[in-house]
Amino acid sequence: MKVKLELFGISRDFSNQSSLDFEVDKNSTIKDIRNKLIDYLDEKFSENENYKKIVNSSAFCSADNNIISDNYKIKNNEKIAIIPPIGGG
Amino acid sequence: MLHTKIVNSKDSKLLITEAENFISSSDFGASIIFTGTVRNQNNNQTVTGITYDSHDELVIKSFEEIYNDADQKLNIKDKSVFIEHAKGYLNLGEISIIIAVACKHRDEAYVLSRYIIEEIKKRSPIWKKEHYANNESAWLKGNPIHHEKN
Repeated sequence: MKVKLELFGISRDFSNQSSLDFEVDKNSTIKDIRNKLIDYLDEKFSENENYKKIVNSSAFCSADNNIISDNYKIKNNEKIAIIPPIGGG
Repeated sequence: MLHTKIVNSKDSKLLITEAENFISSSDFGASIIFTGTVRNQNNNQTVTGITYDSHDELVIKSFEEIYNDADQKLNIKDKSVFIEHAKGYLNLGEISIIIAVACKHRDEAYVLSRYIIEEIKKRSPIWKKEHYANNESAWLKGNPIHHEKN
């Protein structure tokens, strides 16, 4: 199953692209995406602890613009967004 | 009445005159226009500009929710609200946010204006990357948006 993760704020530093594509098992949840992303960061940024903290303190958003919980079941080809800690204004 | 918009700095600037025109009405006796601008100092660093990033759809949704919540939580029903936030690179002194409110009385206007900016800080997915005089840049730490892990 494929999932596209759109990057915002500091998570844009995770890649040169505006999104990351992951291959996940059927019935995967946001919690699994969080773990996949941490594995990716471990590999690409040599276990950057700050990046891991950011992932663990981030929320996730569905394609229909709802904040979703870690138990949210992802659909095939779903586009979700990571919402790192915010601070506009 | 509510107006909301994310303004990309590549396309245009935030304009106070547009906010004034939107909230102008003889129905209201009190109006406040709040602007946030790019400051030249933060955390003992000399700032030269800020890049704003946003999840546009979720930001607009949060503005609408904040406006509607003001009905319930503040009991301010009659109001006109204009909220625009910038996206992209801004130089020092440029406007990053305009919150213009008009209400029947001044007490309501002050409360509403303050409520909106504080809720945006807590709820609207907007991020700042500061650029410094030494040519370095850094995303500001920010606060986690509310979410359930279980």
